[in-house]
Amino acid sequence: MSDWNIVTRSLRSRWFSTLLTAMSVAIAVGLMTLLISMRSAGESAFKRGTGNVEILISKESGPLASVLNSLFYAEAPGNSILFSQYDELVNKYPFAWTIPTQLGDSYQGSPVMGTTTSFFEVFEPAIGTSWSLAQGRIFETSFEIVVGSEAGKVNRLSIGDSLVLQHGAPKTAGGHHHDVYQFKVVGVLNPTGTAHDRAVFTNLSSAWILHAHDRREAQLGEGIHTHESDLIDSDKKITGIYASIGTRKAALTQILASLRRDPNWTVANPSSTVGNLFQIVSDIDQILLAMAIAVLLSSGVSILVALYNSMDQRRHQIAVLRVLGASKMRVFNLIFTESAMIGVLGGSVGVGLAVVSGRAVSSVLQSRVGVYIEPSLPLDGYLMILLATIALSCIAGIIPATIAYRTSVVRSLRHSVS
Amino acid sequence: MLELSFGATTILSMSTRNDSAEFQLNHALEIQGVKYRYQKSSELALSIDSLIVARQEQVVITGRSGCGKSTLLHLIAGLMEPNEGVITVAGSSMSRMSGSKRDQFRGRHIGMVFQTFHLLNGFTVLENVLAALMFSEFPRSEHRSRAMTLIENLGINTPNARIQDLSVGQQQRVAVARAIACSPSIVLADEPTAALDPEYTSVAMDLLQNACRSIDASLICVTHDLSIVDRFDRQVSLQVPSLQERA
Repeated sequence: MSDWNIVTRSLRSRWFSTLLTAMSVAIAVGLMTLLISMRSAGESAFKRGTGNVEILISKESGPLASVLNSLFYAEAPGNSILFSQYDELVNKYPFAWTIPTQLGDSYQGSPVMGTTTSFFEVFEPAIGTSWSLAQGRIFETSFEIVVGSEAGKVNRLSIGDSLVLQHGAPKTAGGHHHDVYQFKVVGVLNPTGTAHDRAVFTNLSSAWILHAHDRREAQLGEGIHTHESDLIDSDKKITGIYASIGTRKAALTQILASLRRDPNWTVANPSSTVGNLFQIVSDIDQILLAMAIAVLLSSGVSILVALYNSMDQRRHQIAVLRVLGASKMRVFNLIFTESAMIGVLGGSVGVGLAVVSGRAVSSVLQSRVGVYIEPSLPLDGYLMILLATIALSCIAGIIPATIAYRTSVVRSLRHSVS
Repeated sequence: MLELSFGATTILSMSTRNDSAEFQLNHALEIQGVKYRYQKSSELALSIDSLIVARQEQVVITGRSGCGKSTLLHLIAGLMEPNEGVITVAGSSMSRMSGSKRDQFRGRHIGMVFQTFHLLNGFTVLENVLAALMFSEFPRSEHRSRAMTLIENLGINTPNARIQDLSVGQQQRVAVARAIACSPSIVLADEPTAALDPEYTSVAMDLLQNACRSIDASLICVTHDLSIVDRFDRQVSLQVPSLQERA
């Protein structure tokens, strides 16, 4: 028999109250941990998801829309760039590499990107992570498709499958199917933990032919077939340009400034745009965090109330322990430990809940947004949250423990029967 | 010869069956000039000029309700502090001890048995006895075996039964086992038979007295039950202070 036995027995004897109190602590801790971990993980995941693109050029309404649409496939970009304009731009600035991208079609909810093979050669979807194929190869000719890992999984696509694309981006898809043209899956990519995993990729010519066919069909009637040779300049459109200046980092600011002076372009530095986005949402984030702290404080009060209410039943036990030789300080410590134990229990379950629910949220975000957000904190972070919870529980336990300390043994024995 | 002086306000009378001078040399309890007033009243609730109980002596304290019998036990146990006077248990002055020292001393040298037993509900028989040993001088490694031996010796066959599942008689056995678990110098019993059927009184008293003898502890028993008085070495009769004395 030890003080520990008395504490655990006491908690078990009031198991329902203990459980409810610990759960209220757990929910508050879980909420707070999840918010903190999601915030830092979200920002880093979005920054990571911009890959090694240093300059994103489009004709979107603003840099944020440009980044969200062209890199995270939020919506179909609104305005197009003629490929000839792209050529001019590329020749005008000393880019290390550029990649034209075209968005606007989808397959079963997965966005379709028309691009060049440079996309798989020089573009890193996440910094330090190059593309790799799980199966097959990169497209070589028109009407060949390479599938992102998530898109392949969701749509159960594998090498050799045929598919028909639909006009419009996933959220606005409702347009007609480009059913004249069958695409063939030639490669499936390995996961990168970025939004690109839920896209499918084909070459620019294929994307252009689909839309040129629509134009020609409207002009010439049904039953025609469109080839690459039928394309005119106005068919050759892209929606974004990924660019990097390579090792000449000092020139980045200058190039960005120069590009921004031209009103025809919307120019974004994806990394700083994502930083700005999280700066904007940080106020909301602070409010959510304040709410989580308020919930945590209220759970501290609930510990106090639960223990305070139990003190009437506990006076007899405390008096008996005092008769047996327990000092006032020892009974103070017993109640104090009980309070701390509720904190340990609630805090641990809360952190566990945050980890589990974080993974669930992460999985949902990955399948819906394509961004892999791993809501994790460094071990120090979890320990700090746990210690803060225990400290709060200890503070909540001071009043009941003081009541135990001041319990009159004689009066308590007189007023209670065993 | 028993030492017993007559206080100015509380009259103690005695009868004795044992006049051995050994008691003067081996005191389990010595009370000198103790006066106690309740906190919110200046009236004297208890006054004892001198009371000495020898080692192994078994003393019964009788008296009308309100004469301070239970108060006397609480003072001896160190649960209350006298306004004046000195209480010495097993050679140590309780009055000179700090609160925590007194608690520690109580755990090691004083056992208590109550009318309603005051056992720890929700705990088992074994745990109730172990609870007393938590505060004893015995090494932790011996607690379990010591508790089990006591429980067996007192005829309890269900060490893992919860207290609330036991009969009154069994609960009394547990209360006695707990009181003597730490081998105290003195056992204080407050109306130990009041909750028992008359036919069980003798059995219960045998149990308590024999248990005290088995560990060479003195027994001070407060009771209204005059039928058990003759079982003791000495009877001390406590009387309610008169109004004049109280003032």
